[in-house]
Amino acid sequence: MPRRPMRHRGLVISRPLTFSQFARQSAARVASVYTAKRQMHIAEVLQKSPPNSAGNKTVKNKLKAKNEQLESSEEEEFDGNVQVDFAFFDPKADDFHGVKTLLQTYLDDKEWDLSGFVGLILEQTTVGSVVKIEDDEDNGIFSLVTTLNLGRYKDQKCMTEINEFLLKVSQKDVIDDLRSLLGKEAHSVGLLVSQRVTNLPPQLLPPLYDGLFNEVSWATEDEPTEELKNSFRFKFYIIITKFYRHKTADQKRKQNVNEEAIIYVKPEDEIFHKLSSWSFEFSLNSPQIAPHELRNYQQTGLVMAVKADKVSTFQQQLQSLIEEP
Amino acid sequence: MATRLQFENSCEIGVFSKLSNAYCLVAIGGSESFYSTFEAELADVIPVVKTSIGGTRIIGRLCAGNKNGLLLPHTTTDQELQHLRNSLPDQVVVQRIEEKLSALGNCIACNDHVALTHPDLVRETEEMVADVLGVEVFRNTIATNALVGSFCALSNRGGLVHPHTSVEDLDELSTLLQVPLVAGTVNRGSEVIGAGMTVNDWTAFCGSDTTATEVSVIESVFKLREAQPSAIVDEMRKSLIDSYV
Repeated sequence: MPRRPMRHRGLVISRPLTFSQFARQSAARVASVYTAKRQMHIAEVLQKSPPNSAGNKTVKNKLKAKNEQLESSEEEEFDGNVQVDFAFFDPKADDFHGVKTLLQTYLDDKEWDLSGFVGLILEQTTVGSVVKIEDDEDNGIFSLVTTLNLGRYKDQKCMTEINEFLLKVSQKDVIDDLRSLLGKEAHSVGLLVSQRVTNLPPQLLPPLYDGLFNEVSWATEDEPTEELKNSFRFKFYIIITKFYRHKTADQKRKQNVNEEAIIYVKPEDEIFHKLSSWSFEFSLNSPQIAPHELRNYQQTGLVMAVKADKVSTFQQQLQSLIEEP
Repeated sequence: MATRLQFENSCEIGVFSKLSNAYCLVAIGGSESFYSTFEAELADVIPVVKTSIGGTRIIGRLCAGNKNGLLLPHTTTDQELQHLRNSLPDQVVVQRIEEKLSALGNCIACNDHVALTHPDLVRETEEMVADVLGVEVFRNTIATNALVGSFCALSNRGGLVHPHTSVEDLDELSTLLQVPLVAGTVNRGSEVIGAGMTVNDWTAFCGSDTTATEVSVIESVFKLREAQPSAIVDEMRKSLIDSYV
Protein backbone atom coordinates (compact mmCIF):
# COMPACT_ATOMS: atom_id res chain seq x y z
CA MET A 1 0.00 0.00 0.00
CA PRO A 2 1.79 3.16 -1.09
CA ARG A 3 2.24 5.62 1.72
CA ARG A 4 0.42 8.83 1.08
CA PRO A 5 2.53 11.88 1.79
CA MET A 6 -0.08 13.34 4.07
CA ARG A 7 2.47 14.82 6.37
CA HIS A 8 3.00 17.84 4.19
CA ARG A 9 -0.37 19.01 5.33
CA GLY A 10 1.08 19.35 8.79
CA LEU A 11 4.05 21.29 7.53
CA VAL A 12 2.62 24.73 7.94
CA ILE A 13 5.27 26.87 6.36
CA SER A 14 5.70 29.67 8.82
CA ARG A 15 5.48 32.47 6.32
CA PRO A 16 2.20 32.57 4.45
CA LEU A 17 2.25 34.79 1.46
CA THR A 18 -0.19 37.50 2.47
CA PHE A 19 -0.30 41.23 2.18
CA SER A 20 -2.04 42.64 5.18
CA GLN A 21 -1.94 42.00 8.84
CA PHE A 22 -5.55 40.90 8.91
CA ALA A 23 -5.03 38.44 6.13
CA ARG A 24 -1.90 37.11 7.80
CA GLN A 25 -3.70 36.57 11.06
CA SER A 26 -6.69 34.95 9.49
CA ALA A 27 -4.61 32.76 7.23
CA ALA A 28 -2.42 31.65 10.11
CA ARG A 29 -5.37 30.99 12.34
CA VAL A 30 -7.26 29.08 9.71
CA ALA A 31 -4.20 26.95 9.18
CA SER A 32 -3.72 26.26 12.86
CA VAL A 33 -7.38 25.46 13.31
CA TYR A 34 -7.26 23.16 10.33
CA THR A 35 -4.32 21.15 11.50
CA ALA A 36 -5.76 20.86 14.96
CA LYS A 37 -9.20 19.82 13.91
CA ARG A 38 -9.01 17.41 11.03
CA GLN A 39 -12.72 17.17 10.49
CA MET A 40 -13.89 20.32 8.89
CA HIS A 41 -17.39 19.83 7.79
CA ILE A 42 -18.21 21.55 4.60
CA ALA A 43 -21.68 22.91 5.09
CA GLU A 44 -22.57 24.30 1.72
CA VAL A 45 -21.16 24.40 -1.69
CA LEU A 46 -23.32 26.40 -3.98
CA GLN A 47 -22.95 25.27 -7.52
CA LYS A 48 -22.52 28.14 -9.87
CA SER A 49 -24.85 28.56 -12.78
CA PRO A 50 -23.42 28.80 -16.27
CA PRO A 51 -22.53 32.36 -17.16
CA ASN A 52 -24.91 34.35 -19.29
CA SER A 53 -23.59 36.14 -22.28
CA ALA A 54 -23.66 39.48 -20.49
CA GLY A 55 -20.85 38.05 -18.38
CA ASN A 56 -22.05 39.79 -15.27
CA LYS A 57 -21.09 37.35 -12.61
CA THR A 58 -19.12 38.07 -9.50
CA VAL A 59 -19.43 35.46 -6.82
CA LYS A 60 -19.34 32.12 -8.48
CA ASN A 61 -18.85 29.63 -5.78
CA LYS A 62 -19.11 29.81 -2.07
CA LEU A 63 -17.45 27.49 0.31
CA LYS A 64 -18.38 27.79 3.91
CA ALA A 65 -16.08 25.87 6.15
CA LYS A 66 -18.18 25.33 9.21
CA ASN A 67 -17.18 23.24 12.10
CA GLU A 68 -19.23 22.57 15.20
CA GLN A 69 -16.08 21.70 17.08
CA LEU A 70 -14.56 24.96 15.93
CA GLU A 71 -17.39 26.94 17.38
CA SER A 72 -17.12 25.21 20.71
CA SER A 73 -13.38 25.73 20.79
CA GLU A 74 -13.90 29.43 20.21
CA GLU A 75 -15.66 29.57 23.53
CA GLU A 76 -12.98 27.60 25.35
CA GLU A 77 -9.83 29.07 23.88
CA PHE A 78 -9.18 32.71 24.34
CA ASP A 79 -6.75 33.14 21.48
CA GLY A 80 -9.71 33.01 19.15
CA ASN A 81 -10.03 30.81 16.10
CA VAL A 82 -11.15 32.87 13.23
CA GLN A 83 -13.91 31.54 11.07
CA VAL A 84 -13.22 32.52 7.53
CA ASP A 85 -15.51 32.46 4.55
CA PHE A 86 -13.59 32.07 1.36
CA ALA A 87 -15.32 33.04 -1.82
CA PHE A 88 -14.41 32.55 -5.44
CA PHE A 89 -14.51 35.52 -7.77
CA ASP A 90 -13.82 36.34 -11.37
CA PRO A 91 -10.49 38.04 -11.84
CA LYS A 92 -10.85 41.83 -11.85
CA ALA A 93 -8.47 44.65 -12.66
CA ASP A 94 -8.32 45.57 -8.95
CA ASP A 95 -6.71 42.24 -8.17
CA PHE A 96 -3.54 43.23 -9.95
CA HIS A 97 -1.23 43.59 -6.95
CA GLY A 98 -2.43 40.47 -5.18
CA VAL A 99 -2.13 38.29 -8.26
CA LYS A 100 1.25 39.76 -9.10
CA THR A 101 2.57 38.95 -5.64
CA LEU A 102 1.39 35.34 -5.97
CA LEU A 103 3.16 35.00 -9.29
CA GLN A 104 6.38 36.66 -8.20
CA THR A 105 8.48 33.50 -8.40
CA TYR A 106 6.55 31.83 -11.22
CA LEU A 107 9.55 31.74 -13.54
CA ASP A 108 12.16 31.49 -10.79
CA ASP A 109 14.46 34.50 -10.93
CA LYS A 110 13.99 35.38 -14.59
CA GLU A 111 13.21 39.03 -15.28
CA TRP A 112 10.18 39.04 -17.51
CA ASP A 113 7.00 40.90 -18.27
CA LEU A 114 5.16 39.71 -15.16
CA SER A 115 2.84 42.70 -15.19
CA GLY A 116 1.78 41.90 -18.73
CA PHE A 117 1.14 38.29 -17.76
CA VAL A 118 -1.00 39.37 -14.82
CA GLY A 119 -2.85 41.71 -17.17
CA LEU A 120 -3.70 38.79 -19.47
CA ILE A 121 -4.97 36.71 -16.56
CA LEU A 122 -7.17 39.53 -15.28
CA GLU A 123 -8.62 40.29 -18.70
CA GLN A 124 -9.73 36.71 -19.21
CA THR A 125 -12.81 36.80 -17.04
CA THR A 126 -14.50 33.78 -18.63
CA VAL A 127 -11.98 31.27 -17.35
CA GLY A 128 -10.12 31.77 -14.12
CA SER A 129 -10.88 32.38 -10.46
CA VAL A 130 -9.36 34.17 -7.53
CA VAL A 131 -10.03 33.22 -3.94
CA LYS A 132 -10.66 36.04 -1.52
CA ILE A 133 -12.21 36.45 1.88
CA GLU A 134 -15.74 37.71 1.70
CA ASP A 135 -16.10 41.35 2.66
CA ASP A 136 -12.42 41.80 3.17
CA GLU A 137 -11.47 45.48 2.95
CA ASP A 138 -7.89 44.66 2.16
CA ASN A 139 -8.81 42.72 -0.95
CA GLY A 140 -6.15 40.10 -0.32
CA ILE A 141 -5.87 37.37 -2.91
CA PHE A 142 -5.35 33.94 -1.37
CA SER A 143 -5.31 31.84 -4.44
CA LEU A 144 -5.45 32.08 -8.18
CA VAL A 145 -6.30 29.48 -10.79
CA THR A 146 -6.64 30.01 -14.51
CA THR A 147 -5.78 28.56 -17.89
CA LEU A 148 -4.36 30.59 -20.74
CA ASN A 149 -4.36 29.31 -24.29
CA LEU A 150 -0.78 29.42 -25.56
CA GLY A 151 -1.78 30.00 -29.15
CA ARG A 152 -4.24 32.79 -28.44
CA TYR A 153 -1.64 34.81 -26.57
CA LYS A 154 1.48 33.71 -28.37
CA ASP A 155 2.31 37.18 -29.64
CA GLN A 156 2.32 38.66 -26.18
CA LYS A 157 5.75 39.48 -24.81
CA CYS A 158 5.14 37.58 -21.58
CA MET A 159 4.19 34.41 -23.46
CA THR A 160 7.30 34.48 -25.62
CA GLU A 161 9.34 34.93 -22.46
CA ILE A 162 7.62 31.94 -20.85
CA ASN A 163 8.35 29.83 -23.93
CA GLU A 164 12.00 30.93 -23.89
CA PHE A 165 12.27 30.06 -20.22
CA LEU A 166 10.71 26.62 -20.67
CA LEU A 167 12.93 25.77 -23.59
CA LYS A 168 15.98 26.93 -21.71
CA VAL A 169 15.38 24.84 -18.60
CA SER A 170 14.01 21.75 -20.27
CA GLN A 171 15.79 18.43 -20.50
CA LYS A 172 16.93 16.92 -23.78
CA ASP A 173 14.56 13.98 -23.78
CA VAL A 174 11.42 16.06 -23.62
CA ILE A 175 12.53 19.17 -25.48
CA ASP A 176 11.03 18.03 -28.77
CA ASP A 177 7.66 17.34 -27.18
CA LEU A 178 7.87 20.68 -25.46
CA ARG A 179 8.76 22.47 -28.65
CA SER A 180 5.84 21.01 -30.49
CA LEU A 181 3.42 21.94 -27.69
CA LEU A 182 4.75 25.47 -27.66
CA GLY A 183 4.91 25.72 -31.41
CA LYS A 184 2.57 23.98 -33.77
CA GLU A 185 0.22 22.59 -31.13
CA ALA A 186 0.04 25.85 -29.19
CA HIS A 187 -3.57 26.57 -30.14
CA SER A 188 -4.77 23.51 -28.25
CA VAL A 189 -2.48 23.86 -25.25
CA GLY A 190 -3.48 25.61 -22.05
CA LEU A 191 -1.03 26.96 -19.49
CA LEU A 192 -2.63 26.03 -16.20
CA VAL A 193 -1.62 28.60 -13.62
CA SER A 194 -2.43 27.79 -10.01
CA GLN A 195 -0.82 29.67 -7.15
CA ARG A 196 -1.89 30.13 -3.59
CA VAL A 197 -0.78 31.06 -0.11
CA THR A 198 0.94 28.02 1.32
CA ASN A 199 -1.48 27.18 4.07
CA LEU A 200 -4.77 27.60 2.26
CA PRO A 201 -7.17 24.89 3.48
CA PRO A 202 -7.08 21.98 1.05
CA GLN A 203 -10.86 21.56 1.05
CA LEU A 204 -10.99 24.53 -1.26
CA LEU A 205 -9.08 22.67 -3.95
CA PRO A 206 -11.72 20.31 -5.39
CA PRO A 207 -14.30 23.08 -5.89
CA LEU A 208 -11.58 25.39 -7.19
CA TYR A 209 -10.47 22.95 -9.86
CA ASP A 210 -14.01 21.79 -10.61
CA GLY A 211 -14.89 25.42 -11.15
CA LEU A 212 -11.96 25.91 -13.49
CA PHE A 213 -12.67 22.89 -15.66
CA ASN A 214 -16.38 23.69 -15.74
CA GLU A 215 -15.60 27.20 -16.93
CA VAL A 216 -13.38 25.80 -19.65
CA SER A 217 -16.16 23.58 -20.93
CA TRP A 218 -18.77 26.35 -20.67
CA ALA A 219 -16.46 28.66 -22.54
CA THR A 220 -16.36 26.25 -25.46
CA GLU A 221 -20.10 26.86 -25.78
CA ASP A 222 -20.58 30.40 -24.59
CA GLU A 223 -17.78 32.38 -26.15
CA PRO A 224 -19.00 34.80 -28.81
CA THR A 225 -16.77 33.72 -31.69
CA GLU A 226 -15.92 30.31 -33.11
CA GLU A 227 -12.23 31.09 -32.74
CA LEU A 228 -12.58 31.80 -29.04
CA LYS A 229 -14.68 28.70 -28.52
CA ASN A 230 -11.99 26.60 -30.12
CA SER A 231 -9.33 28.26 -28.04
CA PHE A 232 -10.78 26.53 -24.99
CA ARG A 233 -10.87 23.11 -26.53
CA PHE A 234 -7.62 22.12 -24.89
CA LYS A 235 -5.84 18.91 -25.70
CA PHE A 236 -2.99 19.48 -23.29
CA TYR A 237 -2.35 21.46 -20.15
CA ILE A 238 1.14 22.63 -19.23
CA ILE A 239 1.82 23.25 -15.57
CA ILE A 240 4.84 25.01 -14.08
CA THR A 241 5.21 24.37 -10.39
CA LYS A 242 7.68 23.63 -7.56
CA PHE A 243 8.25 20.76 -5.20
CA TYR A 244 10.82 19.59 -2.68
CA ARG A 245 13.24 16.82 -3.48
CA HIS A 246 15.32 15.14 -0.80
CA LYS A 247 18.90 16.36 -0.89
CA THR A 248 20.80 13.13 -0.18
CA ALA A 249 22.21 11.79 -3.40
CA ASP A 250 22.99 8.45 -1.86
CA GLN A 251 19.64 6.81 -1.28
CA LYS A 252 21.02 3.38 -0.50
CA ARG A 253 22.70 4.14 2.78
CA LYS A 254 19.84 5.70 4.61
CA GLN A 255 16.71 3.67 4.81
CA ASN A 256 14.54 6.70 4.35
CA VAL A 257 11.62 5.34 6.23
CA ASN A 258 10.78 8.66 7.77
CA GLU A 259 11.74 10.91 4.93
CA GLU A 260 10.14 10.80 1.54
CA ALA A 261 12.08 11.45 -1.62
CA ILE A 262 9.62 14.04 -2.87
CA ILE A 263 7.33 16.40 -1.03
CA TYR A 264 4.76 18.30 -3.03
CA VAL A 265 3.91 21.77 -1.83
CA LYS A 266 0.53 21.58 -3.55
CA PRO A 267 -1.31 18.27 -3.16
CA GLU A 268 -2.72 18.32 -6.66
CA ASP A 269 0.77 18.40 -8.13
CA GLU A 270 1.30 14.81 -7.09
CA ILE A 271 -1.79 13.72 -8.97
CA PHE A 272 -0.89 15.77 -12.01
CA HIS A 273 2.61 14.35 -11.95
CA LYS A 274 1.31 10.80 -11.99
CA LEU A 275 -1.14 11.55 -14.78
CA SER A 276 1.29 13.60 -16.85
CA SER A 277 2.38 12.52 -20.31
CA TRP A 278 5.83 13.84 -19.65
CA SER A 279 7.52 16.11 -17.16
CA PHE A 280 10.91 17.50 -16.30
CA GLU A 281 12.57 19.18 -13.36
CA PHE A 282 14.77 22.20 -13.30
CA SER A 283 16.92 23.65 -10.57
CA LEU A 284 15.98 26.97 -9.06
CA ASN A 285 18.39 29.87 -8.76
CA SER A 286 16.42 32.04 -6.41
CA PRO A 287 17.40 31.93 -2.72
CA GLN A 288 15.43 29.35 -0.76
CA ILE A 289 13.97 29.94 2.65
CA ALA A 290 13.24 26.43 3.81
CA PRO A 291 11.31 25.85 7.01
CA HIS A 292 13.02 23.72 9.61
CA GLU A 293 11.19 20.52 8.74
CA LEU A 294 12.32 20.78 5.16
CA ARG A 295 15.99 21.45 5.82
CA ASN A 296 17.03 18.27 4.02
CA TYR A 297 15.09 19.14 0.94
CA GLN A 298 15.94 21.15 -2.11
CA GLN A 299 13.23 23.13 -3.78
CA THR A 300 13.08 22.20 -7.44
CA GLY A 301 11.01 23.42 -10.32
CA LEU A 302 8.73 21.04 -12.19
CA VAL A 303 7.07 21.32 -15.57
CA MET A 304 4.40 18.80 -16.57
CA ALA A 305 2.22 18.22 -19.57
CA VAL A 306 -1.12 16.59 -18.83
CA LYS A 307 -3.55 15.40 -21.50
CA ALA A 308 -6.89 17.13 -21.26
CA ASP A 309 -8.81 13.87 -21.22
CA LYS A 310 -7.14 12.97 -17.91
CA VAL A 311 -8.93 15.85 -16.21
CA SER A 312 -11.87 13.88 -14.87
CA THR A 313 -9.53 11.26 -13.39
CA PHE A 314 -7.62 14.10 -11.80
CA GLN A 315 -10.76 15.57 -10.30
CA GLN A 316 -11.79 12.23 -8.80
CA GLN A 317 -8.35 11.55 -7.37
CA LEU A 318 -8.13 15.05 -5.94
CA GLN A 319 -11.49 14.61 -4.25
CA SER A 320 -10.43 11.34 -2.63
CA LEU A 321 -7.04 12.72 -1.65
CA ILE A 322 -8.57 15.66 0.16
CA GLU A 323 -11.32 13.68 1.81
CA GLU A 324 -8.95 11.13 3.19
CA PRO A 325 -8.71 11.53 6.97
CA MET B 1 13.21 62.95 -15.48
CA ALA B 2 11.62 59.92 -13.89
CA THR B 3 13.04 56.56 -14.90
CA ARG B 4 11.06 53.35 -14.66
CA LEU B 5 12.88 50.15 -13.76
CA GLN B 6 12.60 46.87 -11.87
CA PHE B 7 14.66 44.98 -9.34
CA GLU B 8 14.26 41.27 -10.13
CA ASN B 9 10.60 41.59 -11.13
CA SER B 10 9.87 43.76 -8.10
CA CYS B 11 8.73 47.31 -8.65
CA GLU B 12 9.70 48.45 -5.15
CA ILE B 13 12.65 50.61 -6.11
CA GLY B 14 12.69 52.50 -2.81
CA VAL B 15 13.36 49.22 -1.00
CA PHE B 16 16.47 48.29 -2.96
CA SER B 17 18.03 51.72 -3.37
CA LYS B 18 18.60 55.01 -1.55
CA LEU B 19 19.09 58.21 -3.49
CA SER B 20 20.25 61.59 -2.24
CA ASN B 21 21.87 64.63 -3.81
CA ALA B 22 25.37 63.46 -2.91
CA TYR B 23 25.33 59.69 -3.41
CA CYS B 24 23.23 56.74 -4.41
CA LEU B 25 23.15 53.35 -2.66
CA VAL B 26 22.09 50.28 -4.60
CA ALA B 27 21.45 46.75 -3.32
CA ILE B 28 23.73 43.89 -4.28
CA GLY B 29 22.24 41.08 -6.33
CA GLY B 30 19.50 41.71 -8.77
CA SER B 31 20.71 41.90 -12.30
CA GLU B 32 23.36 44.26 -13.55
CA SER B 33 20.71 46.22 -15.40
CA PHE B 34 19.39 47.63 -12.11
CA TYR B 35 22.80 48.99 -11.19
CA SER B 36 23.58 50.16 -14.71
CA THR B 37 20.33 52.13 -14.97
CA PHE B 38 21.39 54.13 -11.95
CA GLU B 39 24.91 54.46 -13.31
CA ALA B 40 23.63 55.71 -16.65
CA GLU B 41 21.62 58.46 -14.98
CA LEU B 42 23.99 59.42 -12.19
CA ALA B 43 27.54 58.25 -12.77
CA ASP B 44 28.96 61.59 -13.88
CA VAL B 45 27.44 63.47 -11.00
CA ILE B 46 27.40 61.37 -7.84
CA PRO B 47 28.90 58.03 -6.76
CA VAL B 48 26.67 54.97 -7.10
CA VAL B 49 27.64 52.49 -4.38
CA LYS B 50 26.63 48.84 -4.20
CA THR B 51 26.10 47.67 -0.66
CA SER B 52 24.15 45.53 1.71
CA ILE B 53 23.02 46.43 5.22
CA GLY B 54 23.08 43.73 7.83
CA GLY B 55 23.54 41.25 5.01
CA THR B 56 20.17 42.17 3.52
CA ARG B 57 19.20 43.81 0.26
CA ILE B 58 16.45 46.02 1.64
CA ILE B 59 18.87 48.88 2.11
CA GLY B 60 16.43 51.62 1.15
CA ARG B 61 14.17 50.83 4.10
CA LEU B 62 16.95 50.37 6.63
CA CYS B 63 18.91 53.57 6.21
CA ALA B 64 18.05 57.25 6.09
CA GLY B 65 20.23 59.94 4.59
CA ASN B 66 20.70 63.16 2.73
CA LYS B 67 23.66 65.07 1.31
CA ASN B 68 25.02 65.77 4.79
CA GLY B 69 24.96 62.30 6.28
CA LEU B 70 23.76 58.74 6.33
CA LEU B 71 22.24 56.94 9.30
CA LEU B 72 22.56 53.19 9.53
CA PRO B 73 20.81 50.75 11.87
CA HIS B 74 22.61 48.76 14.54
CA THR B 75 22.34 45.65 12.35
CA THR B 76 24.92 47.08 9.95
CA THR B 77 28.14 45.07 10.08
CA ASP B 78 31.52 46.69 10.61
CA GLN B 79 32.59 45.78 7.09
CA GLU B 80 29.54 47.39 5.56
CA LEU B 81 30.07 50.48 7.67
CA GLN B 82 33.69 50.74 6.57
CA HIS B 83 32.79 50.12 2.94
CA LEU B 84 30.27 52.93 3.03
CA ARG B 85 32.64 55.30 4.78
CA ASN B 86 35.25 54.59 2.10
CA SER B 87 32.94 54.87 -0.87
CA LEU B 88 30.93 57.94 0.02
CA PRO B 89 32.23 61.51 -0.35
CA ASP B 90 34.10 62.86 2.70
CA GLN B 91 31.50 65.47 3.54
CA VAL B 92 28.90 62.75 4.11
CA VAL B 93 28.95 61.67 7.76
CA VAL B 94 28.18 57.96 8.02
CA GLN B 95 26.86 57.00 11.43
CA ARG B 96 25.52 53.76 12.84
CA ILE B 97 22.94 54.32 15.57
CA GLU B 98 21.37 52.18 18.25
CA GLU B 99 17.65 52.47 17.80
CA LYS B 100 15.05 49.86 18.53
CA LEU B 101 13.10 50.84 15.43
CA SER B 102 15.88 49.69 13.17
CA ALA B 103 14.16 50.20 9.82
CA LEU B 104 15.29 53.80 9.69
CA GLY B 105 14.14 54.23 6.11
CA ASN B 106 10.59 53.48 7.20
CA CYS B 107 10.74 55.75 10.22
CA ILE B 108 12.51 58.81 8.82
CA ALA B 109 11.67 60.83 5.74
CA CYS B 110 14.13 63.60 5.05
CA ASN B 111 15.54 66.02 2.55
CA ASP B 112 18.55 68.32 3.02
CA HIS B 113 16.74 70.73 5.36
CA VAL B 114 13.99 69.01 7.25
CA ALA B 115 13.05 65.54 8.46
CA LEU B 116 9.83 63.85 9.49
CA THR B 117 10.19 61.06 11.99
CA HIS B 118 8.16 58.26 13.53
CA PRO B 119 6.51 59.57 16.72
CA ASP B 120 8.04 56.77 18.83
CA LEU B 121 11.64 57.43 17.94
CA VAL B 122 13.88 57.77 21.00
CA ARG B 123 15.09 61.27 21.90
CA GLU B 124 18.77 60.39 21.30
CA THR B 125 17.94 59.17 17.83
CA GLU B 126 16.08 62.37 17.09
CA GLU B 127 19.14 64.34 18.17
CA MET B 128 21.37 62.15 16.01
CA VAL B 129 19.10 62.79 13.06
CA ALA B 130 19.29 66.53 13.64
CA ASP B 131 23.06 66.34 14.12
CA VAL B 132 24.22 63.95 11.43
CA LEU B 133 21.75 64.93 8.75
CA GLY B 134 21.82 68.64 9.61
CA VAL B 135 18.04 68.98 9.55
CA GLU B 136 15.17 70.24 11.62
CA VAL B 137 13.23 67.27 12.95
CA PHE B 138 9.46 66.99 13.25
CA ARG B 139 7.61 64.07 14.78
CA ASN B 140 4.47 63.51 12.80
CA THR B 141 2.24 60.97 11.18
CA ILE B 142 1.06 60.74 7.58
CA ALA B 143 -2.58 59.78 7.04
CA THR B 144 -2.57 58.51 10.68
CA ASN B 145 0.28 56.19 9.80
CA ALA B 146 3.38 56.37 11.95
CA LEU B 147 5.77 55.01 9.32
CA VAL B 148 6.43 58.34 7.71
CA GLY B 149 9.39 57.10 5.70
CA SER B 150 7.28 54.45 3.99
CA PHE B 151 4.38 56.65 3.05
CA CYS B 152 6.11 59.63 1.58
CA ALA B 153 8.93 60.50 -0.79
CA LEU B 154 10.63 63.81 -0.15
CA SER B 155 13.12 65.97 -1.99
CA ASN B 156 14.18 69.59 -1.59
CA ARG B 157 11.68 70.64 -4.22
CA GLY B 158 8.54 68.70 -3.39
CA GLY B 159 6.99 65.69 -1.79
CA LEU B 160 4.56 62.89 -2.62
CA VAL B 161 2.50 61.43 0.22
CA HIS B 162 0.01 58.65 0.93
CA PRO B 163 -3.12 59.05 -1.19
CA HIS B 164 -5.47 59.13 1.78
CA THR B 165 -3.81 62.11 3.41
CA SER B 166 -6.45 64.70 4.21
CA VAL B 167 -6.26 68.22 2.86
CA GLU B 168 -5.66 69.67 6.32
CA ASP B 169 -2.81 67.24 6.93
CA LEU B 170 -1.34 68.10 3.55
CA ASP B 171 -1.40 71.80 4.39
CA GLU B 172 0.10 71.22 7.83
CA LEU B 173 2.88 69.03 6.50
CA SER B 174 3.56 71.37 3.66
CA THR B 175 4.03 74.23 6.11
CA LEU B 176 6.33 72.15 8.29
CA LEU B 177 8.41 70.86 5.41
CA GLN B 178 8.31 74.10 3.39
CA VAL B 179 7.83 72.22 0.10
CA PRO B 180 4.75 71.65 -2.04
CA LEU B 181 3.12 68.31 -1.33
CA VAL B 182 0.78 66.16 -3.35
CA ALA B 183 -1.13 63.05 -2.32
CA GLY B 184 -0.74 60.31 -4.88
CA THR B 185 0.28 56.76 -5.66
CA VAL B 186 3.12 54.98 -7.38
CA ASN B 187 3.46 51.57 -9.06
CA ARG B 188 -0.08 51.36 -10.33
CA GLY B 189 -1.93 52.34 -7.20
CA SER B 190 0.48 51.30 -4.46
CA GLU B 191 0.15 53.54 -1.40
CA VAL B 192 3.61 52.80 -0.10
CA ILE B 193 5.29 55.69 -1.84
CA GLY B 194 8.59 55.53 0.02
CA ALA B 195 9.10 51.90 -0.92
CA GLY B 196 7.96 52.30 -4.49
CA MET B 197 10.21 55.12 -5.61
CA THR B 198 13.30 57.11 -4.77
CA VAL B 199 14.03 60.73 -5.68
CA ASN B 200 16.53 63.56 -5.43
CA ASP B 201 16.56 67.09 -6.77
CA TRP B 202 17.01 66.27 -10.43
CA THR B 203 15.90 62.70 -11.01
CA ALA B 204 13.55 60.01 -9.75
CA PHE B 205 13.37 56.24 -10.11
CA CYS B 206 10.11 54.35 -9.85
CA GLY B 207 8.86 50.84 -10.57
CA SER B 208 7.97 49.81 -14.08
CA ASP B 209 4.32 49.34 -13.12
CA THR B 210 4.02 53.08 -12.53
CA THR B 211 1.40 54.47 -14.89
CA ALA B 212 2.00 57.45 -17.15
CA THR B 213 -0.32 59.55 -14.98
CA GLU B 214 1.64 58.71 -11.85
CA VAL B 215 4.91 59.53 -13.61
CA SER B 216 3.60 62.89 -14.72
CA VAL B 217 2.46 63.69 -11.18
CA ILE B 218 5.91 62.72 -9.90
CA GLU B 219 7.67 64.84 -12.51
CA SER B 220 5.49 67.80 -11.76
CA VAL B 221 5.57 67.76 -7.95
CA PHE B 222 9.33 67.15 -7.78
CA LYS B 223 9.92 69.63 -10.61
CA LEU B 224 11.98 67.16 -12.59
CA ARG B 225 11.12 68.43 -16.02
CA GLU B 226 13.09 71.65 -15.70
CA ALA B 227 15.84 69.81 -13.92
CA GLN B 228 18.33 69.62 -16.76
CA PRO B 229 18.35 72.92 -18.61
CA SER B 230 21.15 71.88 -20.97
CA ALA B 231 19.10 69.00 -22.30
CA ILE B 232 16.14 71.23 -22.94
CA VAL B 233 18.29 73.79 -24.76
CA ASP B 234 19.75 71.06 -26.98
CA GLU B 235 16.28 69.84 -27.86
CA MET B 236 15.20 73.33 -28.76
CA ARG B 237 18.28 73.88 -30.88
CA LYS B 238 17.61 70.73 -32.92
CA SER B 239 14.04 71.75 -33.63
CA LEU B 240 15.07 75.27 -34.59
CA ILE B 241 17.57 73.97 -37.13
CA ASP B 242 14.95 71.64 -38.54
CA SER B 243 12.60 74.48 -39.09
CA TYR B 244 15.19 76.45 -41.10
CA VAL B 245 15.70 73.52 -43.45
